[in-house]
Amino acid sequence: MDFKESTGLYLIAGGVIAFVLAQSIFFLVKAWKQGEKLGIDKKKLRNTITSSAVFTIPSALSVLATVIVLAPSLGLVIPWVRLSVIGNLLYETKAAGDAMASLGQEGGITSTITDPAIFAGVAWVMTLGICFSLVILPFVAKPLHKKVLNLGKKEENKEETTEKKEKKSGGIAGFIDLLTPAVFIGLIGAFVARAIAGKGKPETFGDGAGVLSLITLVVAVGASLILEFVAKKFKIAWLEPFVMPIGMIIAMVIAVVAYNVLPPELAVLEWRG
Amino acid sequence: MRKNKTEKSYFDRVHGWGRISSVTALCVLIMFPVSICLYLGVWPSLSGVMSGLLKLVPLYWTLAVIEVLIYTPMLGAGGTYLSFVTGNITNLKLPCAIGAMENAKVKANSEEGEVISTIAIATSSIVTTIIIALGVLVFKPFLPAFTNSELLMPAFKQVQPALFGALAAGYFSKHWKISVFPIVVMVGILFVAPTLDAGTLLIPGIIASVLGAFTMWKLKWVK
Repeated sequence: MDFKESTGLYLIAGGVIAFVLAQSIFFLVKAWKQGEKLGIDKKKLRNTITSSAVFTIPSALSVLATVIVLAPSLGLVIPWVRLSVIGNLLYETKAAGDAMASLGQEGGITSTITDPAIFAGVAWVMTLGICFSLVILPFVAKPLHKKVLNLGKKEENKEETTEKKEKKSGGIAGFIDLLTPAVFIGLIGAFVARAIAGKGKPETFGDGAGVLSLITLVVAVGASLILEFVAKKFKIAWLEPFVMPIGMIIAMVIAVVAYNVLPPELAVLEWRG
Repeated sequence: MRKNKTEKSYFDRVHGWGRISSVTALCVLIMFPVSICLYLGVWPSLSGVMSGLLKLVPLYWTLAVIEVLIYTPMLGAGGTYLSFVTGNITNLKLPCAIGAMENAKVKANSEEGEVISTIAIATSSIVTTIIIALGVLVFKPFLPAFTNSELLMPAFKQVQPALFGALAAGYFSKHWKISVFPIVVMVGILFVAPTLDAGTLLIPGIIASVLGAFTMWKLKWVK
């Protein structure tokens, strides 16, 4: 039997995964109770859970796909743990390749590890390489949040005191309302811009901007706007929290249809090469 | 006054739990390779591990600092501690939190925003963890047929345009005046440096977006 598939390794991974689940459930319960204390409608809290779950499924499946991509080389256990804890679609593939090359595994992630010492070494490199955020977070998170909360309080009091504050701070208080949307737009815009004009890795289809990424982007925007309009116009309250997840799934279905219907040379066209 | 006291104690408690869970997660994570070594009865060469780390640490540890500084103010207290343990922040946890706050019509830097963001990220973490675990444990024999399917491949390749397109629809339509400038700037940057990944591009993107919004606000084009 392949040592990478032994029950003991699955049990070790299961322990790590159980911790992650327990932590998530703990924070969910605490936040829910605090939401009730604050008087947030239970329906709103339930809708947040349902729409977040639906929103997550397609992305979680693509994370699972990365686990499968790494599995022939590393087995399932390391990719499973690495992509369930801190892991990231973008980082883990590179980390695995660098770790294997440094430990003397010829062929990188296209080869299969047969030496347990190399397997253990890859686990060390991938773990230590990615864990630094957990080292600094306990020191940095609280002071940063205090600043954000102070900003939020200023925002709440803005309507009554804007005039007073503007005199005092040269008018900057009035901008606070726009700051958070501007930050989020910058973040979302980076992915939108990449789907329009980014260049992917030459050996990977679908990584760069092209016909398919643009169709998917436009359909996702269009479908979400139409669904939002329909939900508001016909007062379909249950639809509102699902506008984004459904828009996303429609776009992915259209991507599949476009890929299979368009002429092959057009379907795979990526304009940045 | 009473509300302020409750608010402070809730945030303090969240940070207390978060700090404990971060340190515990770090220990659990490091115990993973330790357990593998003990179970298999082998230890890797120190020079091989150090050589691998030298390739990753300069980039990944720097990115870790940048990510903590950028994402912590956006994710909320509980959401931050959860997201940095479960990962996939830019491509999953953050969009999920932003979408949930948008749906619930709460502000990101309010206590309601904190609660909604934490619930969204916790749900997303649980769903992701369960899907990966089920995929690995239960559907293992059928997975390659599903994830390597020629038919479904375009859907998996286009997850990000679909996800951020859906998110952009809600956000950009409400704030279209301040959305155009950063998009134009980022597309312009990609014409000069086309291989820039989204994680790097979002830094000049956020700067351009904030500066653009501030200028428009100063010129009274937006309120």
